[in-house]
Amino acid sequence: MTTMQDRDREAIVAGLPEDRDMWTNKLRRKFYGKLPPEKLLPDRQPAYVSSWIYVFGVLTLAALAAVLLSGAILALKGPDWWHNSPEGHFVNSTHLWSVELFFFFMVIHLWGKFFMAAWRGKRTWTWITGMVAFLASIGTAFTGYVSQQNFDSQWISTQGKDGLNASGVGALFNVLNFGQMLMWHILLLPLIVGVIIVVHVLMVRLRGVVHPFPPKGAKTHPANDAPWTGKYRRYDILKEGTTALVIVFVLTLLFSIVFSSPDDKQVTLQQWAQNDPVDFVTTATGELSGSTISASYGYPYNNVPGSGQKLGPISLPSIFGVTIPVNPAKDFVLHPLATIAFDPSLGSALSTYNGANSAQQSKWLDNYTKALNKAQAVNGGVVVAPGNYGPLPVMMSALLKMADNGGLEASLVANHGFYGTDYTKPLLFLADGSYLGNLAQQDHLLGTQWGMMNETGNFPGQAWLWLYTFWYQVQPFASSGNADVLVWSIMILLSVIMILVPVIPGVRAIPEKVKVYRFIWKDYYHEEEKAKV
Amino acid sequence: MKLALAVILPLFASLVNLNSPGHYVNIGVISISVANLLVIILMVLVFVLAVALPFPHKKEHGA
Repeated sequence: MTTMQDRDREAIVAGLPEDRDMWTNKLRRKFYGKLPPEKLLPDRQPAYVSSWIYVFGVLTLAALAAVLLSGAILALKGPDWWHNSPEGHFVNSTHLWSVELFFFFMVIHLWGKFFMAAWRGKRTWTWITGMVAFLASIGTAFTGYVSQQNFDSQWISTQGKDGLNASGVGALFNVLNFGQMLMWHILLLPLIVGVIIVVHVLMVRLRGVVHPFPPKGAKTHPANDAPWTGKYRRYDILKEGTTALVIVFVLTLLFSIVFSSPDDKQVTLQQWAQNDPVDFVTTATGELSGSTISASYGYPYNNVPGSGQKLGPISLPSIFGVTIPVNPAKDFVLHPLATIAFDPSLGSALSTYNGANSAQQSKWLDNYTKALNKAQAVNGGVVVAPGNYGPLPVMMSALLKMADNGGLEASLVANHGFYGTDYTKPLLFLADGSYLGNLAQQDHLLGTQWGMMNETGNFPGQAWLWLYTFWYQVQPFASSGNADVLVWSIMILLSVIMILVPVIPGVRAIPEKVKVYRFIWKDYYHEEEKAKV
Repeated sequence: MKLALAVILPLFASLVNLNSPGHYVNIGVISISVANLLVIILMVLVFVLAVALPFPHKKEHGA
C-alpha cells in the first residue's frame, strides 16, 4: 500500500482515489489547484514589475499590521486608558499615525493600479475588492474618530449623524452611541476589512500582476489573462514584506514621538452650564417649547410630520421609523427634574407646569424665551426681567443647578443603565445649544469650514473625505434643506462608479488614453525598443 | 519602568506641538488645513516620484 509520505506534492493534494468525494478533499484540490505554494509565496515576478509604484501595496499591508497591533494594545487596557496615561496616549499616537500611513499608501496604491488599468485580464474582482476595502476602511476610520469620547468625537458624531439619519442608516447605526461605535470600530469593521483584504491579496496571487499594455507595433504580446511569456526577475516576497514592516514601524514611531496625537477634553453639560448658563437655559426652554433641532428632528428620534430630508419624493428615514426614541421636553428637562428629591418649590413648580394646559404653557414659554434674549448670568444663575413666566424660572434654575453639579449628564447617560456609553441624549441636547458649535468654530470644524476633513489644532485630519466635504460648500447643496441626503446619494453613486470602473465603458479606457502607464513600465518599453533595434 | 515611561514619554511626545491653533488656506470656496494640504501634496509628490524614479535592476531570467 502506498503511504502519503511516499507521494509527491500533487499526489498529496489530490489525496487517495477513494477520498475524492469528500468535501475536505474537494476543497483542498480546488484551493491548491488554483493557488499552489509557488503562487502564494512566489520567488519570481515578471520582469516588467520594475517600478516603485509596486511597493505601495505591501506598504499598505504593513501599515495595516501597525494599525492592528497598536489597536490591539489600546484594547488591552480598555477604552479610557489612553486618555489618562502618557504611555496610553503614546500608543494612541502610534494608532493615529499608522492609520494616516495606511491611507497614504493605499491611495497611492489605488492611483497606481488605476493608471495600470489593473483590472484587465479577468482581474475585475481584484479591483472591486480593493475598492471595497478602501471604502470599508474609511468607515472603520470614521468609527474610530467617533468612539474616542473626546471633543473631536463629540463634534464629528453630532454632525455625522445628520448624513446617516437622512439616508436611513442612522436607524441602525447610531454614531452618538459611543459604545456601539467602539464595537463597530474594534470588531465588526476590522473583521470586514480584514476578510476583504485577504480575498484581495489571494486574488492578486491567483491572477498575478497585470501585464503592460502592448508596446507600439508589437506583433506578439501575451493576452491579458494568459501567463507572462517574457522575462522574469527574482522576487523575495518575504524580504519585501519585512522591509515594508520595518519602514512603516519606524515612520509610525517617528511621527508619534515628534507629533503625538490630539485629545481635546470632552465638553460636558456641566461645563456648558458653568461657562454659558444663559445658552444652557435658553436651549432647555427651547426643548420644552419644541423649537430646538432635536424637538423637530423627526426620524429616527421622533415622529414630527413634515420633518426630515427627502430624496425627491422618498423619505428614507421613514422606512425604519422611530428606532431611537427621544422626546426632548421630557427626556432633557422634565424627567431629570422629576428625579430631584427634597425640593418642595421645584415639586410645586413641576406640578403647576404639568397641570397647565398647552396654551398656558406656550404663553409662559414664549414670554420666558423673549426675556432670555436679554438675560444675564449672575453668580452662576440666569437673571431675567420680571414677567409672567409661571413656574419656568424655578424649573430652569433647578435644571441649571443639576447640570452644574454633574447630575444631569449622569441622569441622561445612565438612562439605560449598564455600561453608560450611549451619549445620544446629552449630545443631542448639547448640540441644540450654541456653546458646542462656538467651540467647534474656533477649531475650524464647522461644516461650512470643511470641518469634516479637519482635526483639532494642526493635526492632519481625514483628507480622504475631501470630496464628501466639497459638495456641502457648493450650490445647490449649500442652501438645500435636503443637503445631507443629496450629498450621500452622490457619494454612494460615485463610490459605485469607482468600484465598477472595470465595466464602465469610457471610464475604463482613461488609463490607456492618459498614458501614465508609459512611465510605470518605462523599463519594459525601453527593453522592447532596444530589442527591435 | 512605568515611572520612567511616565517621565520620558511626555518629554518626547509632541516635540513639534501640533495642538496650537490650526492654520488654514482659503481659496474661494476651498478651505483646507495646512496639515491636510501637506498630506495631499506629499501624496501626489510621492506618486509622481514612484512612477518617475528608476527602479533598481536585478538579474532577469527568460520565461
